[in-house]
Amino acid sequence: MKWKKADVEKYVQAKEYIDTILLPLIPFQFSQDKDIELVASQNDLLHIFASEIEKELAGRVMLLPSYHYISSAAKSEEYLRLNSWIQETEKQPFEHAILLTFDASWKKYEKEITGNLIWLPMIQSESFDSKQIKGLIKNQVEQICEMIRAYWQ
Amino acid sequence: MSDYKQQVSRRQFLNYTLTGVGGFMAAGMLASPLRMAIDPVLQPSRSGDLANVGLAEEDITTEPQRVEWKVEQVDGWYESEVTKSAWVFKNDKGEIVALSPVCKHLGCMVSWEGSEKYPNEFFCPCHDGRYYKDGTNVPGTPPPEPLDVFEQKVENGMLFLGKAHPRKGA
Repeated sequence: MKWKKADVEKYVQAKEYIDTILLPLIPFQFSQDKDIELVASQNDLLHIFASEIEKELAGRVMLLPSYHYISSAAKSEEYLRLNSWIQETEKQPFEHAILLTFDASWKKYEKEITGNLIWLPMIQSESFDSKQIKGLIKNQVEQICEMIRAYWQ
Repeated sequence: MSDYKQQVSRRQFLNYTLTGVGGFMAAGMLASPLRMAIDPVLQPSRSGDLANVGLAEEDITTEPQRVEWKVEQVDGWYESEVTKSAWVFKNDKGEIVALSPVCKHLGCMVSWEGSEKYPNEFFCPCHDGRYYKDGTNVPGTPPPEPLDVFEQKVENGMLFLGKAHPRKGA
């Protein structure tokens, strides 16, 4: 399910079945010219991943609005804000928080974060529409879904 | 008597003209609501079109396989290309069956033999929903009804699929 009216209406009816939130962590920055494209394409790709995972597991996962932050921001402060997001979801019977990111610097704060951090290696490509890249993404999505199911058991 | 030309009286003349002019005005006023009323009938049904899913009929076996294809979809503000998918196989009578992979419980994607515990069944990873091979939901599992079935046809040896329709069942 997604954070939109039609889905949330369904959510309210079936709360007890939807116990997992999916939260993409998406950075942005304009200070380093050379990295603008890379950071923006991380945004593209993470959205693809998030929506594909949501499609597969729509009946148990709620995809939240992405968590955006400035690339250079201190993670020591960001993780507090991130935890407050997760805390907010705990006002509903959500049991699992899955965080998706390409940014390895979150790893340092993995223990402090009150959710399960899934770090993915970035796929660099001219376009994410080629058949080969699509197959690759699909395969990774399957593996991530498998991993999320492991949290459920 | 025969060559007597009937005169049109003033009253008749006015009657004819007023009816004529009034009729035109009424027709003009009625034309647009009438067109609007029957408009849905005149719209070509776009969603009813069947799409080639890139699978030859001879490649369909009794083992369900997942096919994916793309369709244009207008969803409120967004016009986009969406990927649709189906589980396709031949049943015992040799008929082609195309089932929607969307679980009827809360909409996860079911997969064929998705759980080792339940061979020969479709399995939903979210809440352990199960369906028999023909798409009927296994009683006692969360799904309330059978998987939707796609409209289908075979043309030039290729499989075409359309819309998925719900059906009644267990």
